Amino acid sequence: MTQRSVVTLGTSVLVASLALSACGTRGGDSGSDSGSGSGDAKKVAKIGVIAPLSGDLSALGKGIEHSVELAVKQANESGDLNGWTLEVAAKDDEAKPDVGKNAATALAGDKDVIGVVGTLNSSVAQSVQPVLNSAKIAQVSPANTNPSLTMGADFANAPKRTYDNYFRTCTTDSVQGPFAARYLFQKAGIKKVATIHDKKTYGQGLATSFSEEFKKLGGQVVEAQTINPDDDKYDAVISKIKPKAPEAVYYGGEYPQAGPLSQQMKAAGLNVPLMGGDGIFSGEFIKLAGATSKGDLATSVGAPTEELESAKKFVTDYEAAKFPEPYEAYGAYSYDAAKAIIEAAKVSLKDATSAESAREATVKAMADVSFDGVTGKVAFDQYGDTTSKVLTVYKVEGEKWAPVNTEEFK
Amino acid sequence: MRYALPTLSDETRAKHAAKGWPLALLGSALLLVSGLLSWSYDDRILGDISIRFWPVGVQIMAMVLGALGVAFALMDRGPLRRVGNWLDVALGLRALSTGVLVFVALVLAAIATEAGGLVNVNEGGWIALVGALLMFVGSRFVPQRELGQMHSARIPGWAEILVIALSMAAVLFLAAYLLNQDDAWLFVLGLAFIIALSMGLARSGFFTWFGHVAQRHKHVLTLAAFAVAFLFPFTQNGSDANMSIATQVLIFAATAIGLNIVVGLAGLLDLGYIAFLGSGAYIGAMMSNSAFATIGWKPPFLVTMLIGAIVASIFGLIIGSPTLRVSGDYLAIVTLAFGEIFRLAMFNLDGNNGPKLTNGPNGIPGIPDLQIGSFNFGDTHNVFGIPLGRFSNYYFILLLLIGFIILVFTRLNNSRIGRGWVAIREDERAAEAMGVNVFGLKLLAFAGGAFLAGLAGTIKAHQDSAVSPDQYLFLESAFLLAAVVLGGMGTIAGVLIGATILKLMPEKLRFFSEYRLLLFGLLLVLMMRFRPEGLVASRRRQLEFHDEDESLAEEVEDWHLEDVR
Amino acid sequence: MDTFAQQLVNGLTLGSLYALIAVGYTVVYGIVQLINFAHGEVFMIGAFGALSTYLLLFQGQTSLWILPVMIIGAVIASVATAVIMERVAYRPLRGAPRLAPLITAIGISVFLQEFVRLFYDKIPGTNFPSAKQRIPFPRIEGVTGTAFEAGGVVVQKSALFTIGCLIMCAALLWYFINRTKLGHAMQAVSQDPDTARLMGINVDRIIVVAFALGAALAAIAGVAQGLQNANINFKIGFTAGLKAFTAAVLGGIGNIQGAVVGGLVLGVVEALATQYVPGQFGGSAWKDVWAFALLIIVLVFRPQGLLGAKVVDRA
Repeated sequence: MTQRSVVTLGTSVLVASLALSACGTRGGDSGSDSGSGSGDAKKVAKIGVIAPLSGDLSALGKGIEHSVELAVKQANESGDLNGWTLEVAAKDDEAKPDVGKNAATALAGDKDVIGVVGTLNSSVAQSVQPVLNSAKIAQVSPANTNPSLTMGADFANAPKRTYDNYFRTCTTDSVQGPFAARYLFQKAGIKKVATIHDKKTYGQGLATSFSEEFKKLGGQVVEAQTINPDDDKYDAVISKIKPKAPEAVYYGGEYPQAGPLSQQMKAAGLNVPLMGGDGIFSGEFIKLAGATSKGDLATSVGAPTEELESAKKFVTDYEAAKFPEPYEAYGAYSYDAAKAIIEAAKVSLKDATSAESAREATVKAMADVSFDGVTGKVAFDQYGDTTSKVLTVYKVEGEKWAPVNTEEFK
Repeated sequence: MRYALPTLSDETRAKHAAKGWPLALLGSALLLVSGLLSWSYDDRILGDISIRFWPVGVQIMAMVLGALGVAFALMDRGPLRRVGNWLDVALGLRALSTGVLVFVALVLAAIATEAGGLVNVNEGGWIALVGALLMFVGSRFVPQRELGQMHSARIPGWAEILVIALSMAAVLFLAAYLLNQDDAWLFVLGLAFIIALSMGLARSGFFTWFGHVAQRHKHVLTLAAFAVAFLFPFTQNGSDANMSIATQVLIFAATAIGLNIVVGLAGLLDLGYIAFLGSGAYIGAMMSNSAFATIGWKPPFLVTMLIGAIVASIFGLIIGSPTLRVSGDYLAIVTLAFGEIFRLAMFNLDGNNGPKLTNGPNGIPGIPDLQIGSFNFGDTHNVFGIPLGRFSNYYFILLLLIGFIILVFTRLNNSRIGRGWVAIREDERAAEAMGVNVFGLKLLAFAGGAFLAGLAGTIKAHQDSAVSPDQYLFLESAFLLAAVVLGGMGTIAGVLIGATILKLMPEKLRFFSEYRLLLFGLLLVLMMRFRPEGLVASRRRQLEFHDEDESLAEEVEDWHLEDVR
Repeated sequence: MDTFAQQLVNGLTLGSLYALIAVGYTVVYGIVQLINFAHGEVFMIGAFGALSTYLLLFQGQTSLWILPVMIIGAVIASVATAVIMERVAYRPLRGAPRLAPLITAIGISVFLQEFVRLFYDKIPGTNFPSAKQRIPFPRIEGVTGTAFEAGGVVVQKSALFTIGCLIMCAALLWYFINRTKLGHAMQAVSQDPDTARLMGINVDRIIVVAFALGAALAAIAGVAQGLQNANINFKIGFTAGLKAFTAAVLGGIGNIQGAVVGGLVLGVVEALATQYVPGQFGGSAWKDVWAFALLIIVLVFRPQGLLGAKVVDRA
């Protein structure tokens, strides 16, 4: 029986390959340069991407990949790379630390790689950082918000840079949380809130820094709860919060949980706005939360896209490039991250003979990078964090996020 | 279940026997020669197969297959006739030619898809195809011969050892070659080649003979296998990419062998086994020098390792204790629930919901590399001029660990304890009636298996440099179980193969990573349906699943007799 | 007292859902002694079946009368899945060692989840959203929307729907098992399949009926879950399945009344644990742990469950 199925398999493969012959063409310019691979060919350097290209978060990961491709394509077209050509080497991390580490190891082993854009998840970054650091490859993350990645385990009291090759273009939790607290307390006049978070690095960080600032301002945090991101029913938590009658709920986490949470909160009669960070600033949130999400709030980094010239250009360029997936939440940051590496590489590659020998110089040059990017001014402080601290509060109005307040955080 | 094969009747075969043999020989020879010709017009694909008299990659594979075909043919009639008294060359040739046909078709498909159409196939490819077809047709008409008893086939002792050494060297070479293929097509073709080769060798009875040889030189075989594994990092030229995968395979395999004690030997289905690996890893992380570590005490690593293993085995005892009352499916669900409890507990113990031990979902990152004495595992060391990087260091320590685990496994398997487990697996009540301490042995299986997984876990923590709860999902337990089931319950070789397949495939075949889990689920269902005993089945197991098979029963008896002798 | 009543209501809602799914485990186990681990996935496919029916026929509408049609769609999807599953994967393994069907079940479970995740948006002729993320479930007038509030206790409309479904299904089920010929045949097979076969009962057919029956109830649970949470995803089957199995064991596996009681008890225990376990081990973070711990405790100290198992432990 096994034998027969193998025969069937063999014949079908054979038939399939014969069918292909009908529309074949002879391979292009072969023969002309057979045998010679080296020589005076173009000098190539690669920018790696480590992001979840498959799995649940692949939408975000693909957006990162394509945005980097866009930045690299534009840099190659600009022609001021001192004779170097840039390429993108994208690796999948499946949002898992293990896989991410393999991807980083593979990129570190590729002698052409000069910098890496990634990762999406802070947890993956933690296992990617040491690998890239030992290979002295600059890493710029468009999405990691955990402060400990740049400032070490005890970031609040004794900040200490752990990996000098690591930078990021997004702000950390310690900026977004307080910004939201100030908006609620000072602008919206809300004095009593409850907080919920999903216990993940991102959510917990946001909720903690929010609560601290809110209490400092004189507000009252009447209840602090956590949810398990695998859950999809939150009435136990809502039942605990409701009797305390908060005027708003601050949620640290991402939209897949925030949407249903908002919906279930309101269905249970807790009719107060839900506020969150850039993790819920997505159209998906409104779809999941339904019509009752009107009035919910979110903070996001940078000024609204409609108000920034460079951002509008990014959007039109991205659309013109006809990528199969949209740029999503982190596209703009990824574009800026890639551009930061390109700017640094322009300095380091100038006199370099190989990409590998320019790696260390690239990391050094990162500190001096400064340009106007899609998300605002891009430059890095002594820890590798972005210096840009402009944030915007958005509100759900008519099934859309509408900007209500843009300000620089001080 | 056995469908009628579209095979030829014996009469037709006898009538055309004279034509079959030359055809098969000619086909094999053509295949052998084709390797020297140009296969593709395009020189950029499959590692440049366009140059004549310069065989590379797939061409060499084709030549090896052709050479085996010629050898088989000559064993049937010709100078090597004597070997044909032992090996069933007719069956071997048939299986080989089927494999070859698939292989050649795949090569042509590869050329067609990579270079754009079959026009790009040059004469070598077509000749190979003709050769494969001739072989296929010819081999159908080669009649089977009367065979001698396999276990009486002997060659001098030194020659047998040489065969073992050569086979191991071939395995090392093939593994290194396959792993270094970044091109997915070459990887697939390499696999097709190995399958074709093993099909031919297996059907001809070569592996059975090899099994007897291995039986006679057990220690040589084990040593050779370890030597090969030990030499592997030296084939990598200091590249860490494959070593990183190799270390993961080893950790996975070590854990799977531990699980094999519980499932394969004692017959207790454990669906939460990853928790034991996890508890080892968490202990390793909490007692490490990481800035996020939550336990102040930093003992030397060997002590940590022991603590991790002991904690894991305590969990093993706890989870094993319900076995007194529940068994079978119930037990499976208890272990599943336990696995979930472990994951949720690791998720929760962050200071908000329970004591601060695990940092919750964020886990414990930044675990420094191992340091034993003055040897730091993070450094690159030069041995004989070959640089061995960070992962190679971990590879060696894991190799030691897995050697230890295999030793424990085999010693247990061949002891009173092992026989007690098998007795429990077969019939618990009968075993109890015969005076086997059922409860004690079950607990021992759980604690022992967990101990081994815990050991592996402590190393994993340092190797990964981070631990987090989402590494210990139910799916990971299912993967472990799949490794055991796929490879063959109760065998070491099977589990090693299963672990390698399950960890290596997704890394090398990234393009189907999206469909990985789908295929995994399908694989489990199909395996249970068609080959429940696994790829490398222990004979006893095989008999359990196919108790109607008389000849198999005789064979098993033979093996046992030989064991006694 | 208000919080107690509130958590009791939450628990009963949750418990009704578990009970509906648990019946499927128990019926199948009672007849073929098989833990159909993939039953959670049948429940998930029920929810997707209802969603598909809605998207195909009624997109944008909210009136109550489309709910029965959605339920029918859900039941068709679930029953078809369960019957095919039984025919293709389980039946050939009848008589094989116990390990084989359980591993098959895990395989099916993973396969079905991935199948929905990968291909839901690729079904030809439809325009379904991708199932790689949570999909909003339609809101239906009358069974979703603002909750009733009485004396500080909030009762959601979807919760009433769920509890109502359970009561109705339990009644129908009781009637089916005890008053119809097919039901009697089922009881006979579960007591002694060989004798039942001798009595002229088509055992294969009864097994299919058992699978279908469980699937139909799971499908209704799927709709209820969708209405309660307002969103569904491909992963909902795993935890729900595990909890429902816990419920079935809690009540005594093979015992249909037991499954219903077990489900309700489990739901209430979970809700009360969230509220009343003091200190750091309270709250929703640990509720699943308490549920699974309960499973282990019951299995160790009273393997036959609260109401007693109909089948002796033949494992």
